[in-house]
Amino acid sequence: MKTNMECARYLEAIHELADGTLGPIRRAELQLHLDDCDACRALADDLVRLRSLTASLDRPVPPNRVWLQIAGRLRHEGRVTAPVTVTGRVGRQAALLAIAAGLVIAVGASLMLLVPGFRASRQTPSPAGAVVGTPSQGNAATTEAVQSVETEFRLAEQHYQNAIAKLEQAAKSEEGAFDAQTAAMLQKNLQVIDHAIAESRAALRTEPQSAPARDSLFDALKRKVVMLQDTIALMNEMRKGDSAGAAQLIEGIKKS
Amino acid sequence: MATSKVTVQPSPVNAAMPPGRQADLVLVERCKAGDLTAFEELYRAHSGRLFSVACRMLGNTADAEDLLQDIFLAAHRKLDSFRGDSALGTWLYRLATNQCLDYLRSRTARSNQLTGALDDEPGLADASSRGLGERVVTRMDLERAVAQLPEGCRAAFVLHDVEGLEHREVADVLGIAEGTSKSQVHKARLRLRTLLGR
Repeated sequence: MKTNMECARYLEAIHELADGTLGPIRRAELQLHLDDCDACRALADDLVRLRSLTASLDRPVPPNRVWLQIAGRLRHEGRVTAPVTVTGRVGRQAALLAIAAGLVIAVGASLMLLVPGFRASRQTPSPAGAVVGTPSQGNAATTEAVQSVETEFRLAEQHYQNAIAKLEQAAKSEEGAFDAQTAAMLQKNLQVIDHAIAESRAALRTEPQSAPARDSLFDALKRKVVMLQDTIALMNEMRKGDSAGAAQLIEGIKKS
Repeated sequence: MATSKVTVQPSPVNAAMPPGRQADLVLVERCKAGDLTAFEELYRAHSGRLFSVACRMLGNTADAEDLLQDIFLAAHRKLDSFRGDSALGTWLYRLATNQCLDYLRSRTARSNQLTGALDDEPGLADASSRGLGERVVTRMDLERAVAQLPEGCRAAFVLHDVEGLEHREVADVLGIAEGTSKSQVHKARLRLRTLLGR
C-alpha cells in the first residue's frame, strides 16, 4: 500500500503522461510506481481516457447570424466602410433567400457609395490613408464634388429600390415562412423605418442640400438594411428548424 | 493645379517579425482603416475557436452567441491596442476569456454566489477519488462536467486541453504564471474525474 505523500510525488508525472509529454527516464520511474500502486494506475488510466475524450469534443460553429449582427452593428455605428457579405451553407430550398441575401449585399454596397460622398461634402475627417479634397480646389471642384455626391446618392437609391422590389418578391414566395404574429411584427418594424425614410425624403425635397436630412435618410436606409438582414437570417433559421435561434433573432428584432 | 492631401500612417510591420505576425498586423491595419471585408476575414479565421471557448466557459450556446458578438465588437474597438507583441489569436483569446470571466462574475454576482476565480485547493482529495472505473463517459457527460468546474480552472482547462494552447500561452492569455496554468489544468482534470465518476 502506497502512502498519499508518495503518490503525490508522481501526480505531475501522471498528468504529463496523459499529455504525452513525459520524458523516457521519468516515464520509466513512474511506471515502476504504477506497477505497484492501483490508485495511481487507475488515475493514469482515467486521465488518458479524459484527454482522449476531450480531444474528440466537437468545435461548435457560430451561426452566420452572429456575423451579420456584428457587421450590422459596425455599419450602424459608422465604424466600417465596406459591405457585409453573407456566407454559409445555402440549401436548395434557400435559393430565393440566397438571392435575397445577395440583394442586401447590393444594397449595402450601394449605401457604402454614399459614405465618402457625405463625408467629403461635409469636410469631416476621412479614414487613415484616404484622399480627401481641400479648400484649395476651389468652387469648381466643390460643385463637381456635390454633383458627384448627387449622382452617387441617386444611384444608390435606385439600387436600393430595385433590391427592395426583388427582395419583396422573394419574400412573398416564402409567405408561409412566418407565423402571423412574427409577420405582423416585421411589417410593423418595416413600416416605422419606411415612415422615417419618407420623412427624410420629404425634408430633402424641401432642402435638397441639407446634410442633416441626408444623414437622416442614410440612417433610415441603414436601419432598413439591418432589418432585412435580420429577416433573411430569421427565414434561414426557420428553414433549418432552429427554433431557439429564430426566437433569439425575433427578440433582437423586437428590440431594434 | 489641384492638390490632394494624402495621410500616410507609419507601418507598424517590422521585418524582423515572424511572417504570421506581420500578416496579423497588416490585417489589423486594414480593419482599423474601416475595411469590413478585412474584419470579416479576421472573424472567419478566429470566431470558431473563440465561440468554442465561449460555449464551454458559459455552458450554453445562446449566451455564447451573444458574447461572441460582444467579443468581436470589443476587438474592433480595441484594435489600436494590438501591437503585435503576441499573435493576434492569443490577443483575441485574452479578450474573449476576459469577457467570459467578466460575464460569469456578473452572473455569479447576480445570483449572490461566492466563488473564487482560481481554485487553490491542491486536489489530492480529487486524485484519490473513486475514478471512472468501467463507467462509460460520453462527450455530453464531459461537456456537462466542464460546465461545473470553478471558472478559473475551467478557463485554463478549456484553453489547454480543449483548444490545445501551450501552458505558456494559457498563462499569457489569463495573465497568470505558467506554473499556475499547469496546476489549474491538473486541478480541473481531477475535478472532472470526480464529477464523472459519481
